Amino acid sequence: MQHKAEKLSFDERIEALIEKAREVRYHIVDMVHTAQSGHIGGSMSAADIMTALYFDILNINPEDPGWTDRDRFILSKGHACPVLYSCLALRGYFPIEKLKTLRKFGSILQGHPISKTPGVDISSGSLGHGFGQSIGIALAGRLAQKDYSVFTVLGNGEIQEGLVWEAAAAADKYRLDNLVAIVDDNRMQNDGFTDGIMPMDPIGKKFEAFNWEVIEINGHNMREVLKALEQAKNTVGSPVCIVANTVKGKGVSLMENQQRFHGKPPKPEEYVIAVKEIRGEA
Amino acid sequence: MNMDLTKAKVPTRRAFAERLVEYGEIDKDFVVFESDIGYSTYTHLFGDKYPARYFNMGIQELNTMDAAAGMAAEGRTALVAGYGVFLSMRAIEAVRSFVCYPNLNVKIISSHGGITPAIDGVTHQASEDMAFLSTLPNMKVLVPADTLAAKNCVDLVMKTSGPCFVRLMRDPLYDIYGPEDSFHMAGSHCLREGGDITIAAYGDIVFQALEAAETLSERGIEAEVLDLYSFKPLDYASVRKSIEKTGHLLVAEDHQKRNGMGYDLASYCLREYPVPFDHIGLEDTFAESGDYQSLIEKYGLSAAHITEKAEQIIKK
Repeated sequence: MQHKAEKLSFDERIEALIEKAREVRYHIVDMVHTAQSGHIGGSMSAADIMTALYFDILNINPEDPGWTDRDRFILSKGHACPVLYSCLALRGYFPIEKLKTLRKFGSILQGHPISKTPGVDISSGSLGHGFGQSIGIALAGRLAQKDYSVFTVLGNGEIQEGLVWEAAAAADKYRLDNLVAIVDDNRMQNDGFTDGIMPMDPIGKKFEAFNWEVIEINGHNMREVLKALEQAKNTVGSPVCIVANTVKGKGVSLMENQQRFHGKPPKPEEYVIAVKEIRGEA
Repeated sequence: MNMDLTKAKVPTRRAFAERLVEYGEIDKDFVVFESDIGYSTYTHLFGDKYPARYFNMGIQELNTMDAAAGMAAEGRTALVAGYGVFLSMRAIEAVRSFVCYPNLNVKIISSHGGITPAIDGVTHQASEDMAFLSTLPNMKVLVPADTLAAKNCVDLVMKTSGPCFVRLMRDPLYDIYGPEDSFHMAGSHCLREGGDITIAAYGDIVFQALEAAETLSERGIEAEVLDLYSFKPLDYASVRKSIEKTGHLLVAEDHQKRNGMGYDLASYCLREYPVPFDHIGLEDTFAESGDYQSLIEKYGLSAAHITEKAEQIIKK
């Protein structure tokens, strides 16, 4: 709600988010390069969605990470935590310098998210489980008569887990309209293109069949992203799934659609090129 | 305690659920998750009285465990009831990484423990559950033997911080405890005193141990019988005190021998106080469908096996 609080127009919000997404992407590349480890491709594909959430949509307070009325966020595709850490640092949950400690011994920034990190609601990383836990968090919100929304980002590979569909059925049963799932559909997974490994299309129709409301968007068009998130947050009577068509490694040409950048860091020369492109200096 | 065994009116799974309904008045905050066997775990009794706090998630143990973790992460204690074999295996990763790792208040109530779901067959018997659950950091594991012990376990898990696992039985066996008996974490009860050998057991095998002790006494061997209902944390101090007196230890359990309580106590004794030792449990095998009595006889868990093994240890 940062931008809303500043009373910006929709266009101004979009402009600010596009600029912020550059910063988010810069820190993703920088922290993974520094760590020489981490999942860069799936972080970059989710960067626009995550930026819109953390710098506009989510009702959160970095000064009070455990504020009981805050919106909850669960990165179910936990391996993409560089994008989460980047957003949290830029939003003020911890100093930006901490990003350089990603995956290092003693760091608050573990290889996959844990709830001890300021701003991280629950641990995640084993695929499907973040989504499952979001069901419990949404039920808890309803039971406590809280107005918070629960947002969770899943990967297109992650939804191959049967657990995801157990959770989808549960959200339908309880008509969890405080729950929004965003599938970051970057068409790839660890071993290559999802279509060749275990096709999951049509994703939207699958969620529709589970009685979810479905919105399909271009996950890199900030207008579409922001509109969809607002619509989803305000939906009454149904859980909402946003299927975001995205590109793995988005924002750095040499990383886009490259399997190598699922879980491998850039080489030093690639890092230099990547930073230039993100900053618009290429 | 009442040393004359009386036939229990209800199985421990039902006793636990009955106390849970009462506890719903004492603590108005906790919730119960069920996976479509509410009429078998008897959690429907809770659901009938507190429908807003009862979530029947259908046949999806894994997501049920995650949902309970999410609920507990929001500060509300969540009980998850189901068959032991499913909760201890199908849902185990959620238990490990999302309940135990963040140390959340999720209480796992496992009915049909050990081979007590005898006639249901191997797919419904939970003969490795203690090994899986007790291996997880932060997890506490309780196995009440009778009606009052099961009811006490409700209060115990609700008052204990962090994850707990309670193993219950399918069928009624016997009652031994009275209102004066108290139960706590790392607790145990000495059900029969004796100076020749210590027989350590938990759950349904407690009754086999008591029967064996009776037979042994007729043969001139006085066995001390311990009910180690707190599987983890285990009451090593009471075991130590007993074996210092008897000098012999036999552990008998309705579980695989491997990674059961016998392995734990053998390790303890080797480190701290070596005594002649043996162990009764499933011998790296699965059981089968059949009545409980036939199964414990065929698979070596009965009073006769305990008696024989105790005599062998003493002759060593």
